[in-house]
Amino acid sequence: MTEAMPLLAVERLTMRFGGLVAVGELSFTADSAAITAIIGPNGAGKTTVFNCLTGFYKPTAGRMTLNTAAGPRYLERIDGFRIARLGVARTFQNIRLFPRMSVLENLIVAQHNGLMRASLFSVAGLFGLPRYRRAERAAVALAEHWLERVGLAEQGDIDAGALPYGAQRRLEVARAMCTRPIVLCLDEPAAGLNPRESAELSELLLGIRDGERIGVLLIEHDMSVVMGISDHVVVLDYGRKIADGTATAVRNDPNVVRAYLGEDEISSLAEVAG
Amino acid sequence: MAYFVQQLINGLTLGSVYGLIAIGYTMVYGIIGMINFAHGEIYMIGAFVSVISLIVLGAAGLTFVPLALVVVLIVTMMFTAAYGWTVERIAYRPLRGSFRLAPLISAIGLSIFLQNYVQLAQGARVKPIPPVVRGGFLLFEENGFTVQASYIQIFIWLLTLVLMVGFAVLIGRTALGRAQRACEQDRTMAALVGVNVDRTISLTFVMGAALAAVAGFIVTLYYGVIDFYIGFLAGLKAFTAAVLGGIGSLPGAMLGGLLIGLIEAFYSAYFSLEYKDVAAFSVLILVLIFRPTGLLGQPEVEKV
Amino acid sequence: MAARLDRARAPDLPGAAKEAFLAAIVAFVLALPIIGLGTYDRGGGRLAVEPRWDWVAIGVAAVFGGRLLMALTRPARRAAGGRRSWVDRAGRALRPIQPYIALAGLLFAFVLPFMPFSNRYVMDIGTQLLIYVMLGWGLNIVVGLAGLLDLGYVAFYAVGAYSYALAAQYLELSFWVALPIAGALAAVFGVLLGFPVLRLRGDYLAIVTLGFGEMIRIVLVNWYPVTNGPDGLSGIPRPSFFGLPFAASAPEGGNSFHTFFGLPYVPEHRVIFLYFLILVLALITNLFTLRIRRLPVGRAWEALREDEIACRSLGINPTTTKLSAFAIGAAFAGFAGSFFATRQGFISPESFTFIESATILAIVVLGGMGSQMGVVIAAVVLVVLPELIREFAEFRMLVFGGAMVLIMIWRPHGLIAFREPTVHLAAWRRARAKP
Repeated sequence: MTEAMPLLAVERLTMRFGGLVAVGELSFTADSAAITAIIGPNGAGKTTVFNCLTGFYKPTAGRMTLNTAAGPRYLERIDGFRIARLGVARTFQNIRLFPRMSVLENLIVAQHNGLMRASLFSVAGLFGLPRYRRAERAAVALAEHWLERVGLAEQGDIDAGALPYGAQRRLEVARAMCTRPIVLCLDEPAAGLNPRESAELSELLLGIRDGERIGVLLIEHDMSVVMGISDHVVVLDYGRKIADGTATAVRNDPNVVRAYLGEDEISSLAEVAG
Repeated sequence: MAYFVQQLINGLTLGSVYGLIAIGYTMVYGIIGMINFAHGEIYMIGAFVSVISLIVLGAAGLTFVPLALVVVLIVTMMFTAAYGWTVERIAYRPLRGSFRLAPLISAIGLSIFLQNYVQLAQGARVKPIPPVVRGGFLLFEENGFTVQASYIQIFIWLLTLVLMVGFAVLIGRTALGRAQRACEQDRTMAALVGVNVDRTISLTFVMGAALAAVAGFIVTLYYGVIDFYIGFLAGLKAFTAAVLGGIGSLPGAMLGGLLIGLIEAFYSAYFSLEYKDVAAFSVLILVLIFRPTGLLGQPEVEKV
Repeated sequence: MAARLDRARAPDLPGAAKEAFLAAIVAFVLALPIIGLGTYDRGGGRLAVEPRWDWVAIGVAAVFGGRLLMALTRPARRAAGGRRSWVDRAGRALRPIQPYIALAGLLFAFVLPFMPFSNRYVMDIGTQLLIYVMLGWGLNIVVGLAGLLDLGYVAFYAVGAYSYALAAQYLELSFWVALPIAGALAAVFGVLLGFPVLRLRGDYLAIVTLGFGEMIRIVLVNWYPVTNGPDGLSGIPRPSFFGLPFAASAPEGGNSFHTFFGLPYVPEHRVIFLYFLILVLALITNLFTLRIRRLPVGRAWEALREDEIACRSLGINPTTTKLSAFAIGAAFAGFAGSFFATRQGFISPESFTFIESATILAIVVLGGMGSQMGVVIAAVVLVVLPELIREFAEFRMLVFGGAMVLIMIWRPHGLIAFREPTVHLAAWRRARAKP
């Protein structure tokens, strides 16, 4: 039964840069209609995991299986942009929008592959055929839908680079969703957001989980977001998994506390506690 | 066999020229991550300054050759270094924050400007110089073909060797070299620990220009004729050399230079003279397809 | 904050003077060997040096004055400037009427041959200008839209010219048949050239394309059997008006252009026809570009220019996208090359040097990468100005090189830096609201 199969299964993923082991023998799974958070101190290798998953790095070893409707796909063997075509969308730690294109254009570019197919690689568009006009109309409609979801409905024609920071982050999420993904990888989406914006983001992600019912992978440092919405938390430290479970279980795990606070802090805390 | 050895000698000499120019490319690339498009023209200006200095010294009556050579070399290096400094200040420094193609376009514009500047100031005709140093060593003879290593060629090898050693010491042992390596790896951090990044980058351009000046000086002595267009093709081939050796690696640049010089010499000797430049350039394509990091280079990891 | 403080202070004369003085010293050092000591041929191939201190003095004084001016006006410029410089404001004011300016220009171009001041010379300049405009629009696709710095564009121009010449001479194909073939061949070259190098970064791509342009020229100069070497190909058939030759006397049993239309024979007919031909070709290039920007592949080009990594994360294949830009840009250069061949009747490798690539690049960069109007303006300055100001002609490339440097510092996105979005939410909503 496909219900029992996880959406994404990572087995013994290893990424080495010369002598440095950025990610070592990492295994975890992520399900559809669930939010899986990957947390850990800085330098733990979280973004490296994302880069491996989305094809920007070729992992040194390990297997990443994406269970699509058409069967399992082994991401470690696939080129970067093809992984995106399989339905793995991502946002970036340092926002990567198309700053000189408008908000709407950013979302239309995200639907590039569908539009190319509909327009026969743009040829149908060149001759103004109705099949392309229909496709474009549908693309704008989808873009509008996501603009509303992220609260940018009135900013469609503004240059993406002119948006305020929080709005840019939300636009990146909307753009990723316009690719109709089955997995959404978010790299620190709450970075630089104030508490109200973080709460809105959390709501958005919960809406995506429950509405679109896709798998959401989340790298985050903002614990309110992580603990508030995650169904499943994976903790990394120095490239290795040190905890894996529900948010509550992970929060109380002594290994996790030690990784974040350090050994000395723990003993001095213990001393103070008596 | 004799023919082969002669080509070897010629190729190594030519390769020294390319190597010296290539070092300039590789040093600048290492520190600012960009190609100095105007570097070929710097080399050309070096050649012109050498010619002018030789004429002036000749007219002033200085005929003691070793002294004249030293004076011309130093004068050439100084003036050309000034040009190198100016290139950085005009085309690269103001554009450090701009989009990534901006410094490139600016440098291309500057390259066009410098070519035309020299053409207008000095005339479009070729500039011939009578040979300053004649004669050489007769190595051996075979079937009527003599293998020679001229004094000029030996002088070029020695000069290049001395410069290479000097540079290795400069980069490896001095504060400037450390500052350079720091800026190469992490410019922000280098600035935070007190390295004067602007000055380090300027000095890198200046050093690269000085070496290109030596290359121009060598070419003036060796070939005896220059024109305002030599920077274009030499720049292209020296860039090929830098990539072949591994962009960012100084020994790689010299190695690449020697290899390109040899490839060019052998190709023009054994196959065809007309297409020697195509041969050298094809090396670039092959390297970029099959081994983009070059022979001695480090693989570059994309920062996402 | 700093701008306001600056405005409060009087211009700092001693500081500015020091800055200008240092700049002048640098200028002196630079000018001394190259400008100050000119080499000339004394006779018998021996060189001598003539001192030209007056030129050095002029140059140094100019640098001193210029730098002084820059330093003195800096506080004022900073206070007034930034994003809202006068060029931006002028541009913003002109934007609504830009379509009308374009239309006016187009009309002028169409009636130019019939204006009273129009003669052979005017037609020649006009045709020359239109060739550069078409090449600029073609390169605009590669550099302006896709952001690929192609420094060897002239190679495709050459492929178009030579393939047309060979097809017309050996296969006796008419212009209208040979034209698409030449364009297709140029596109094929674009793919062959692009394939190994398009995954390279910006500056590598630039140098490699530069090299390719040069290699094509070397092949043209040396491949005697096919290209006839430096002597070039001559006797390229001139175009006919859809079968009617522009000849003084009609061929046997048929008509020539002037007999068919009942006009007296005038050699200008062919010139005017060629002018309209290139005008139409250029307009097709322009219309194609305007259209393709609104299509997925055109948007992908622009997105690729903005951020390639983001494009990959959206499932866009960067290599095929870049290849399409390269090939299509090459095709237009090929078409232009065919026109060039048929207009001249004779082509040689001399017309296809790096200077040409640099000129076309300068047009695109100065005009504004991605802006069609900007290309026209830059081409006019480049082609027409040297004709009007003869003294300028010698300094043309010098000024253009310098202008490229200055533009990057002052207005990096070119004179016309505004970008028209390809799809408007407001427009779509209005369209939907209509009953």
